Amino acid sequence: MITKIGREKLQEFVAGLMKSGRLFAPVKEGKGTNFKLITDPQSVTLDFYNTIQSPKAVLFPQSEDLVNYNISHDGIASEPAPIDDGSRIILGVRPCDVQSFEIMDRLFNGSGIVDPYWSARRSNLTIIAYAFDRADPVDFYNAFGITGSDEQGSDILMVRDTNSFLFKAFTDKGTKLLETMPFLEKGTADDEKRMTEIVDKGRDIATRTLDTAEIHKRLAGIFDSPYWEEAAAACLNCGVCTYVCPTCHCFDIQDETLFGEGSRRKIWDSCMFSDFTLHASGHNPRTKKSQRLRQRINHKFSYYVENFGIISCVGCGRCTRSCPVNIDILTVVEEAR
Amino acid sequence: MIQIEKRLREEAKRLLETKEAAVVLAFGRGFDEEHPMPLILRKPSDAEKIVFNEYCTFNMARHLTEFPPGTKIAVAVKAADSRAVTVLIQEGKVKREDLIILGIPVAGMKDFRSGTAIDATTTGPAVNPVLYDILLADLLPEPKDVSPYDVLAEIEAMSPDDRWGFWSAEFSRCIRCYACRKACPLCYCETCFVDQAKPRWSEKSPSASSNMMFHLTRFYHLAGRCIDCGSCSRACPMDIPLYLFHKKVSKECEEMFDQAAGMCVDAKPVMVDFKVEDSDDILL
Amino acid sequence: MENPYIPMPVTVDKIFIEVDTKEIKTFRLAFVNKTDEERFNYRPGQFAELSIYGKGESPIGIASSPTDKGYVEFTVQKAGIVTSELHDLEEGAQIGLRGPLGNSWPLEFLEGKNIVIVGGGFAFTTLRSLANFMLNDEQRSRFGKIVMIYGARTPGLLCYKPELKAWEDRSDMETFVTVDKGDNNWKGREGFVPTVCKQVAPSSENAVAVICGPPVMIRFTLPVFFELGFSKENILTSLEMKMKCGFGKCGRCNVGHKYVCKDGPVFSLAELENLSREY
Ligand SMILES: Cc1cc2nc3c(=O)[nH]c(=O)nc-3n(C[C@H](O)[C@H](O)[C@H](O)COP(=O)(O)OP(=O)(O)OC[C@H]3O[C@@H](n4cnc5c(N)ncnc54)[C@H](O)[C@@H]3O)c2cc1C
Ligand code: SF4
Ligand code: SF4
Ligand code: SF4
Ligand code: SF4
Ligand code: FES
Repeated sequence: MITKIGREKLQEFVAGLMKSGRLFAPVKEGKGTNFKLITDPQSVTLDFYNTIQSPKAVLFPQSEDLVNYNISHDGIASEPAPIDDGSRIILGVRPCDVQSFEIMDRLFNGSGIVDPYWSARRSNLTIIAYAFDRADPVDFYNAFGITGSDEQGSDILMVRDTNSFLFKAFTDKGTKLLETMPFLEKGTADDEKRMTEIVDKGRDIATRTLDTAEIHKRLAGIFDSPYWEEAAAACLNCGVCTYVCPTCHCFDIQDETLFGEGSRRKIWDSCMFSDFTLHASGHNPRTKKSQRLRQRINHKFSYYVENFGIISCVGCGRCTRSCPVNIDILTVVEEAR
Repeated sequence: MIQIEKRLREEAKRLLETKEAAVVLAFGRGFDEEHPMPLILRKPSDAEKIVFNEYCTFNMARHLTEFPPGTKIAVAVKAADSRAVTVLIQEGKVKREDLIILGIPVAGMKDFRSGTAIDATTTGPAVNPVLYDILLADLLPEPKDVSPYDVLAEIEAMSPDDRWGFWSAEFSRCIRCYACRKACPLCYCETCFVDQAKPRWSEKSPSASSNMMFHLTRFYHLAGRCIDCGSCSRACPMDIPLYLFHKKVSKECEEMFDQAAGMCVDAKPVMVDFKVEDSDDILL
Repeated sequence: MENPYIPMPVTVDKIFIEVDTKEIKTFRLAFVNKTDEERFNYRPGQFAELSIYGKGESPIGIASSPTDKGYVEFTVQKAGIVTSELHDLEEGAQIGLRGPLGNSWPLEFLEGKNIVIVGGGFAFTTLRSLANFMLNDEQRSRFGKIVMIYGARTPGLLCYKPELKAWEDRSDMETFVTVDKGDNNWKGREGFVPTVCKQVAPSSENAVAVICGPPVMIRFTLPVFFELGFSKENILTSLEMKMKCGFGKCGRCNVGHKYVCKDGPVFSLAELENLSREY
């Protein structure tokens, strides 16, 4: 069944979602948009191509308290910080980004010791995907079999029509959520047709693509190649590419204390930073930027494949779009031969 | 710009062939025309890869400190970039005799992310390099009656509370990716104070206070040194207008010392040692 | 669900100063909660994160043997923030412990084989755990001959001195303790570990060599063992990489596609051969 809402009633819809759980949705910020916890329905915008930062922070915030402690003359008192696992809704996730959750699941949720933070939130998450209606030249999600209007992995797929938004639920969770929105109109046969048309159009959006067959082996084979020096020559070793990426999962654990009050925190980190692998002794296995770029590419396109059977990239293009020196991950991988 | 590209290729080829330079720092093609990349050349045959267009905004002085001392480097510089080279020479990070400076007088550069023109609001208004060995085009008339500090009028007119609010809001968006620091030609410290673990100066978590701490400290490390190239602001994925703060500090320094950073290689740099207490009138 | 990021409380029962420079100390820790102690089932070769709130955590190899009941021991070299703070602690202090983490020396694989233990400096901790485990009355018969070669730069830098003495006196193992440079009181062997290995020339027949030490020692020791006929499958070592989470999530400690915290720290040379050399 299709439901719909007029564009002018978007705020009403957003306000409705806010009643069902904490809502994260795109908000204008600087020259772009980012997913934010919504407190004011008016702040939400659905006029965007894709957000600067990925939606991963909804489940995996940049900084999160693990333990709160207090250091005094009497000793140290500590208490695990409660895991904030209430239900969350993300509105407006592009189909490629939806796939990133499944990639992260394999690491945080599906192997070895489970990460309780990711895990608790993941099971309480409702994803409202938002089909693309055009392609940006740097995207390459087609390379991973993802199309511009895939519903896979989402609870609800939303598309934009001229004057309205159309919704279709794909899970029970999605169906129930839509049912709690009395002001959503039931779609007519015409709307059904429109939805199909728009989804079909989304499927046909052509992004750049990449031959991913045996890619992990190819990369393993050129580990020692001078290619990496060349590929990384312009790299600044900032953290932009990894911080905006939906599938980068690296973090640091730091104790941050002010006047005796403090928290042990899990904080995003990046393999592009020079101190990422710096030992206390001063030894560092990765001193050169070529080694760090190689780690980023290999981790995504080789090691992750070895360990989890999937490439840890969804082709969202964020790293390329935000790189201050225009290093393009697709080009780097393609030319790595 | 085509002419500059041609001249840049010729000079790069010649300098590498004659071994006058071991490395040439220029611009090359990125994934498309509008997205060039910094290019670091060592072979004369690679000179063909050089590109120059309005999107070649990179300050190649940033890469000068990556090479071992004594490396003969030819570096392509635009107006502000040449001032960065000057500061690096003044601070002893590179030797004048090791450099061959390829000066590019140029106007009309554009930001490759937004496509918008880069003008005196985000960088200095000058169009000619201040220091060069070889000029790749004729000098251009410098724009008159434009100050790099005009853009500050709005923020200077704010009440202290509003100004504090403005900066707090801007910095609260910072994700601490350090692209600003990494894109800056003058942020060359081996271990930046934010990365120092012993003692730890700054928290790694982005928060209003730790972001403010990071940015204020960085601003003051750059006081009297920032050459207003705008690289940090263009690098920032969150569009935080860092240039406003740098310009404000530069303006104060210029008023105090009657000298702008990196204008003259023989001048003694104003190594001003700002104290955080002095900063109130800038921030507030 | 157990939260793997939260340390268990432990008290510092005893501190042993191992070396004359006082830079290496062994901490004997006791669990505050009985249930934690029961749950802390470890094998030689595993490590744990030692936690001090306000300072952080450090991964440290477990130096005691699972056959030692009632406590766990860690031998720590003073390096940076956490290890320095540990060194400043006094007996009775309370800290945190997270683990056990990592794989271990492959006991099943070692069973029935002759074991050659080679250690240098303080990178001997989990080898000590392994030795004490194998030498335990109930375990000894599971393993063949045991040869131990252990060296340090100076006599003052040898760890576990009382144990070294006891091992030398045991008839069911051969122990060779050496120092690079002796002093006036030193009556033992002098010479670098690789040289001593050459002299001792342990047989590779049905044998496994377990080697831990500073990189230079390893570099010069390996050729000796190849010469003696040890295959890459039969030489094991323990890797060190910077760590944070300790269970494969934080992405920091990989060598190629292997995460040292979870797939290691113990690897055979044959396994390392297939990994990128980035450690
Ligand atoms: C599997 C394993 C077993 C180890 N066993 C021992 C042991 O038995 N005895 C011993 O003295 N040391 C051991 N180390 C090394 C020890 O972990 C580091 O010396 C220690 O973490 C330094 O911490 P710091 O806070 O004092 O130094 P800092 O420089 O302040 O380090 C900050 C943080 O970075 C990480 N880190 C820094 N260096 C290392 C490193 N070399 N290895 C892993 N993490 C690091 C830690 O999380 C540390 O807390 C081992 C390391 C590993 C990986
Ligand atoms: S964003 Fe670009 S410059 Fe920065 S680390 Fe990534 S690849 Fe390098
Ligand atoms: S690596 Fe780049 S393109 Fe791939 S998912 Fe991450 S940000 Fe997107
Ligand atoms: S190793 Fe690098 S590329 Fe891989 S998840 Fe971590 S930060 Fe991202
Ligand atoms: S580039 Fe921008 S977001 Fe990144 S650290 Fe600098 S100000 Fe913050
Ligand atoms: S220490 Fe976190 S992945 Fe190994």
